[in-house]
Amino acid sequence: MIIKVKQEWLLLTAFVVLALPPMQQFLEQSMVTHMLVQIPVLAIIGWMLGKKLPENWKSKITLWNRWGITGMVLAVIIMTYWMLPRALDAAISEWHFELVKFVTVPIMGIALSLSWPLLHPIAQGVLKLEFWATFMRLGWLYLDLPDRLCANYLLGDQRILGQLLLLGGSAWAVAWTLRVMFGTRIVKT
Amino acid sequence: MRTFLATVFIAITGSLILWVSTDRGRAFTVEEARRLDVRENPRFVPEWHLQNQDLETVTIQDWRGSFLIVDFIYTSCPSVCLILSGGLKSLQKDFSSELEKNNLRLLSISFDPEKDTPQRLKEHLSHFSANFKYWIAARPVSSSQKEAILDFFKVIVIPDEYGGYTHSAGYHVIDPQGRLVAIFGVEQLNELKEYLTQVVNKENDHQS
Repeated sequence: MIIKVKQEWLLLTAFVVLALPPMQQFLEQSMVTHMLVQIPVLAIIGWMLGKKLPENWKSKITLWNRWGITGMVLAVIIMTYWMLPRALDAAISEWHFELVKFVTVPIMGIALSLSWPLLHPIAQGVLKLEFWATFMRLGWLYLDLPDRLCANYLLGDQRILGQLLLLGGSAWAVAWTLRVMFGTRIVKT
Repeated sequence: MRTFLATVFIAITGSLILWVSTDRGRAFTVEEARRLDVRENPRFVPEWHLQNQDLETVTIQDWRGSFLIVDFIYTSCPSVCLILSGGLKSLQKDFSSELEKNNLRLLSISFDPEKDTPQRLKEHLSHFSANFKYWIAARPVSSSQKEAILDFFKVIVIPDEYGGYTHSAGYHVIDPQGRLVAIFGVEQLNELKEYLTQVVNKENDHQS
């Protein structure tokens, strides 16, 4: 019980640290840290928070979220929104969009953690493949595009992000291949 | 059933939000959004004070009655400003008769007023063989004016890794009534020329 409380406090602390203006500015000064550190960490905080929700809340939510479908739709919509270049720019220049980001991204994490385990294995497979394809597509796009997508970020930044996305996507693909062919489990998912 | 209802509700609301926040699927980036916005909502340009290359104070409204093409530059720019100013040079050549008839003016505004002294602005213009009568370079007189100008045009300027700047680049068209009516990207010089030919002719017909 004591450990449980502690972990929730940790999550809250992580969230507050991310929201502190110096941290926020530090992570948002580069497209790479904004998209590959800040937003994923916010989502992970949500994910872990979702695991910590009281059981009776979970079962109430499940009534509205059979097979995890509702939650996945919500998560996909929030994800799509924050993939819009102008949404990212808006979060930097306008505080209320920033607030929306700090609320919706953790909600996305919660929705994912509540819905993913309920999802049919085939749906899980399709979504995983789609996430992976998004990594590769965006990575390729960012590398190839001659123009900046975000008015607040440099072209060089966009290129680095593209490389990292492709690299991450490739690592993921290798991990999958190993698992499918040899049953080696490098990561848990 | 509840799941179905909740899913439908979230899917519809979510799609609507995405639809609205991309201006009905037409603008995915800030740059696209600002171009679309001025096309649909032309707005009057306030009377800011600018200092031109001859140390005179001017305002954008001084050119009422002519179309005015504005670009944003800093004179030590190694890349995109050179293309922009090259574009203005090409306009100066192609639209020389309109310039003579006072139907068109060109204005380069510097967003680096500390470094871009009138002397440097003059050098910049000379570099592009600008005719000072038709093509003016100017800098904001104070940093608050600079912010107001950049804010109005929604031009975002960020420092780059070489001590210079990266910035939203484009040709901003102000009509004879003093309204910002269109923005063309650096790559849209030909579209800008077509547009100008059309609107200037229309204006001429209107007057005659």
